[in-house]
Parts: sequence; structure tokens; C-alpha cells
Amino acid sequence: MKRTFTRREFLRLMMAGGGAAVLAACGGQSGQSTSPTAPAVVSQPGSKVKITYWGSFSGNLGEAEQAMVKAFNESQNEVEVEYQFQGSYEETAQKFTAALQANTTPDVILLSDVWWFGFYLAGAITALDDLARQVNLDFNDYEPVLLNEGVRKGVHYWIPFARSTPLFYYNKSIWAEAGLPDRAPETWAEFSEWAPKLVKSDGSRAAFGHPNGASYIAWLFQGVVWQFGGQYSLPDFTMTMTDPNTLRAAQFYQDTVVKEKWAILSPNLNQDFIGGAIASMMASTGALAGIQANATFPVGVGFLPRETNFGCPTGGAGLAIVSRAPAEKQLAAMKYIAFATNPTSAGVWARSTGYMPVRISTKQTPEMIEFFKQNPNFKTAVDQLPKTRAQDAARVFVRNGDQIIGKGLERIIVNGEAPSSVFADVNDELTKAAQPILEDLKAVEG
Amino acid sequence: MATINELEHSVKPTTVHQRRLPLSLLGWRIAGYLALIITVLIIGLPVYWTVMASFKETREIYSLPVTWWPTSPTLNNFPAAWQAAPFGRYYLNSFITTFFGAGIEVILALFSAYALAYLHFPRKDLVFLLLLAALMVPVEITIVPNYLTIARLGWINTYQGIIIPGAAIAYGTFLLRQAFMAVPHEILEAARVDGAGHLRILFSVVAPITQPAIVTMALLSIVSKWNEFLWPLIVTNTTDMRTLPIGVFWLRNSEGLSNWGVVMAGSLFLIVPVLITFLFAQRAIVEGMTAGAVKG
Repeated sequence: MKRTFTRREFLRLMMAGGGAAVLAACGGQSGQSTSPTAPAVVSQPGSKVKITYWGSFSGNLGEAEQAMVKAFNESQNEVEVEYQFQGSYEETAQKFTAALQANTTPDVILLSDVWWFGFYLAGAITALDDLARQVNLDFNDYEPVLLNEGVRKGVHYWIPFARSTPLFYYNKSIWAEAGLPDRAPETWAEFSEWAPKLVKSDGSRAAFGHPNGASYIAWLFQGVVWQFGGQYSLPDFTMTMTDPNTLRAAQFYQDTVVKEKWAILSPNLNQDFIGGAIASMMASTGALAGIQANATFPVGVGFLPRETNFGCPTGGAGLAIVSRAPAEKQLAAMKYIAFATNPTSAGVWARSTGYMPVRISTKQTPEMIEFFKQNPNFKTAVDQLPKTRAQDAARVFVRNGDQIIGKGLERIIVNGEAPSSVFADVNDELTKAAQPILEDLKAVEG
Repeated sequence: MATINELEHSVKPTTVHQRRLPLSLLGWRIAGYLALIITVLIIGLPVYWTVMASFKETREIYSLPVTWWPTSPTLNNFPAAWQAAPFGRYYLNSFITTFFGAGIEVILALFSAYALAYLHFPRKDLVFLLLLAALMVPVEITIVPNYLTIARLGWINTYQGIIIPGAAIAYGTFLLRQAFMAVPHEILEAARVDGAGHLRILFSVVAPITQPAIVTMALLSIVSKWNEFLWPLIVTNTTDMRTLPIGVFWLRNSEGLSNWGVVMAGSLFLIVPVLITFLFAQRAIVEGMTAGAVKG
């Protein structure tokens, strides 16, 4: 879930106003058009159905995704998918927003954990259960924690595809140098004892790194809040940022930087870890392959540390089908989703990218067993998966909730402001931002 | 006063001149060079870093402390970047959109600036005010309405879709109008007396005199079209319609670690043509100035 604060972020902020306004307009219409009857397209028998797929994968991930599309197109002769790269998760979602207004929508689209819900509320993405039945898709073989995030009122809307979770990464050389056991800390209390041994006194190395708000600190902090027994919000959108346990977690984060001084807040965490400026961090499993390839030291990974509980969120992106697409194209899109997430493809995708295998049976395939043997670190990531849980509504369902919490954490860690007063502000802001969502939710789900 | 006078008299005037003036001059010169060095460093370091990184392996780019010279220079990044995406096609698209985009923009700016500077028509002030207002609107604000308009015209994923919304930019008209206003009236009157029409005056009199301003405006326009990212990304869907900046962006990884050596090599594909354009255009700016001075 790493993201650099660059032109994209700037543009995202610039566009937030316009994009939100257009989305709100969609929400307004959703009352009448929640169950659109898709027009049927009668194509000539024997001809291929062409569908458009909008995604956010570039670089190595983009090549892996194009290979997947190519494999699908060659595997059958009923459907032809065209993969179209649309920029980051944010840009893809914004373009989809504009496309809904202009009637230039794709048929299948990749949406990240913080975006799909808004489009669900707007009625822009369709219920998948009927389509799944037609292509004999077995929902029972998907990792339940990942699949259930995309379910509303017992109906599937968002199929897990490029899903990740945070992991605890550590630099084995520094660990050995400090005389620590070769494993991730089991609890934060244990790590607090280890940390002073990992710090370099001249300030050139910290024991641990936090990302900044733009790099999704609120995603990683989500797990820590649960570990301390707190949460961002309750399922009914009641914000609980001032819960004593949530505040305890924030106080711990502040102490690591301000009081104990063994952690730093870094705008580019992965780079600092590879460069040896921090000895450990929490980061996405999606970065594992890249870090191992570029680090000059052995990389260790482990489950996130516990405190009162274990806590680890899921993240990443999934696939949805556009409700406006003609029935025939929706079915074609479902065929692609079924292919891209079948046990074999899920394994290929996981091995080439570092994302979680979304199918349960993938773990038993011989290729995967062999891959685990050679990459024990990736096995750790997959083993942690059943212990993860879906994120709180405050971060993923409230528009901009991730950034509201992230900015609050920056105030606590960087400015050293008291967690209780900052999170009281954040609580108010989230409550206000949740208001329109609750209204839409009422209109859609009753 | 007396003491100062005595002091001045005791020192020979010639030595005062030789010592004082060069000293203060030297001070200014040092300050000037310092400012120059700082400017070059601020502008040049990122460029230097880009060039060096494109010859490094990704592992070296990520390692600390940073290396200022590639320890094991490699040329692999360039073919890797070129093969990762259809850069030949991106070049073609970038050339087409930049050439027509900047060309139309310069021509429209020339005509509209001429009208605003020299012609008399009712509510001219209002038109200029409107222009200034357009200058204040950030491009990002207009993206969604522009997208809807282009989509309804059926221009998504076409060259005209990329080019037309950016074809008339208020700042070009504003810049040239200001330059045209500075042209002495006598020259224009002389041309009019000789029987020159508006087109003749614009292209044979005003344009040569204000060449530096026009070339500057054209350069700014070319660079902004060449580097434009968000609009072409939004208005195109397929790879064969994409431009260079999107190609470079494609080289980056959305999650995890980017292969920076390859990304930097891709960035050089983008930078080099603009650099060459600058080198040539720079000459036109200097020539224009002297040409104007002789005529004026």
C-alpha cells in the first residue's frame, strides 16, 4: 500500500472537490436506479464478446496483469478482454466517476478497498451472485476474510483479486548485530525492550519506521489499534476514535517517536529499510518480492506484534462489474473474473506479484507448495491471512477517512500533540464525513 | 569633516580608485557567482541524479549512502524501459499532440493578442477581464466538465480529444498582448501609411519585433504539452493513444518497489527532445532581441 507523495497526490487533492461533487450527483440518482435492468446485446452467434477492463497495475504488476489477460484470451474463444491502464487506484476511481457521467464506462473495473463502497452506494457496480451462478463460480473456495469484505446484505459486489496484508519486516543483519533472536517480536512490549539495542546513537539508524499519512499510515495503524483493544469505528458508523484503547494505541505511537525516540516517521519507508536507515517496519506483503530483490541483507518477516490482542487488516484491490454494462458483457466480465481468480491463476498471480492467493485451494497446489519452500517469507504472509480481518468503516467506507485519520496521526507523531485532543477532532471530522454515506446507505439498504 | 578631508588628501586618488572599486566589484561578482552556483545546484542536481540513476542498477539506487557516480555502470535500463512499453508509439503520439497543440495555441494567441492590443471594439475591457479571470482558474477544476464535453462529442481516445481542450490558453494571449503593447505606435502607423493590412502588420511588423516573447510563449506551450500527464491519461483509454509521460508512469510500480533505474531511463526519453528544442529556440530569443533593437 505504499504510495509516494507526488503529482498524483497533489492532483488527487485538487480533484477531490470536483470528484466528490460528481459522485454525490451519482448518489442522488441511486435511489431510482439501484437495480438497473441491463440492456441485452444480441451479438451474432459465434462472434466474440469484447469487454473493456480498467485497472491500475503498472510496472511489473502491469506486465503480470497483461499476461493474465492474454492467458484468458487464449484459453477460450467466446470473450476477448482488453486491459486498459488508468493510473493509480485514485485516478482509476476518479476516471470511473467521470465516465459514469459521460457514459464511457468500462465493463469490469479494479477498485481499491477505499473506493468500491462509494460506487456500490452509487449503484455503479452490480450484484454478482446471479452472474456467478451462470459461470459456476464457487464462492466457498475464496478466503472468507477477503471475500466477505465485498459482501453487502448477503450479496457479492467486489471479488478479491490483488489483496495484501501488512507484515512485520526486519533486517536480519542488524538483528544479529544487536544479539536478538532471529524472529519478529511477539509483542510491542518485547519490541520496546529490543528497540534501544537497534538504534544507532549518532541518529543514523532508527529501530522502527512509520509511514506518513500519504503512504497510508492509517492502514497500518488500523492493526495496531485492534492490537490495543480499540477500533476506529463500530459497524454502524459510530466513530470510536476517543475510545480509551484507541487513544492508548495512539499514545504508544507517539511515545515511540517523541519519548523513547527509537522510531521515525518516514516519507519513503521501503527505501529507508533497504538502505538500512531503519531496522524494521510494518509494510504490505505486496512489497515483499521487491524488497527481497533489492536488499543487500537477509530480510526477515513475521506476524504483526500483539498487545492485548492480535490485529491485522487486509488491504488492496478487487474486481467489480459495472451495472450499466449490457447483460452479455456482464456475463463475459464474470467469465474473466472467474478465470483470474481460479485456483491456478490465483497462484500464478500471487507468485509473480506477492499478493495473497485469494483461493483456499491454491495453497495446496504443487507449484505453491514448492514456492513456499523456496520463499518461507511468503509462507509467513499467507499463514497470517486467516488471522486478519476486514477494516473498520471509518477508514474504508467514509470518503477520505484514510487521510483524515492519517493527518491526525501525523499531528500526534510529528507535532507531539496530545492524542486525546487530536482524535477528538478526528472523531468529529469522521462523523461529519460519514453523514452523507449513512443517508445513501439508508436509501440503498434500508 | 576635517579629519576625513585630511585622510582623503593623504591617500592618492589613483590608489583609492584602484583599491575601492575593484573590491566592491569583486564582492558583487562573488555574490553573483554564489547565486549562480546555488541556482545551478538546485536546478541541476535532480537532472544529474536522473541521468546517473539511469545508468545504475536498482539495488544501487536504493542503497545508502548514496553514490554520486555509478559503481558498476550499466546500459541495461534503456532497452528494458524501451521494451516495457511501446515507446515508439508514445513518441509519435507525443509529437502529434505537442506539434498541433502548441501550434494552434500560438496561432490563436497571436491573433487574439493582436486584436486585444490594437483593435478598437466595444467592451474590449470586459473581454480582457474575462481572459484574466480564465487565467486564474486552475486546470484541474476544468477537467471533469471538459471530460464530459469531449465524451459527448465522441472524442474519447482521439487526437482531437487530447489537443482541442488545451488549444486556447489565456496566458498565451495575455503574454503576447503585453509584448504587443510595448511596440512603438510610430512603427505601426508607418506600416499603415504604407498600406499594410492587419495580417501584414501582424506577421511583417509586430511578430519580428516581438519574436522573443513569441518564442518564449511557444516554448512554454511546447513544454507544457509535451509533459502533460493528467489530461491525456483521462481522455485516452488504449495504449496506442497514450503519450510519453504516461509511458514513464507505466514503468513505475503502483505497490511495492519501483525499478528506479528503468524509470529514470524512461524519464530521459521524455527529457531529451525538450532539451534539444530549448537549445535551438534559445538562439531565436537572442536573435529576436537584437533584431528588435535595430528596427526600433
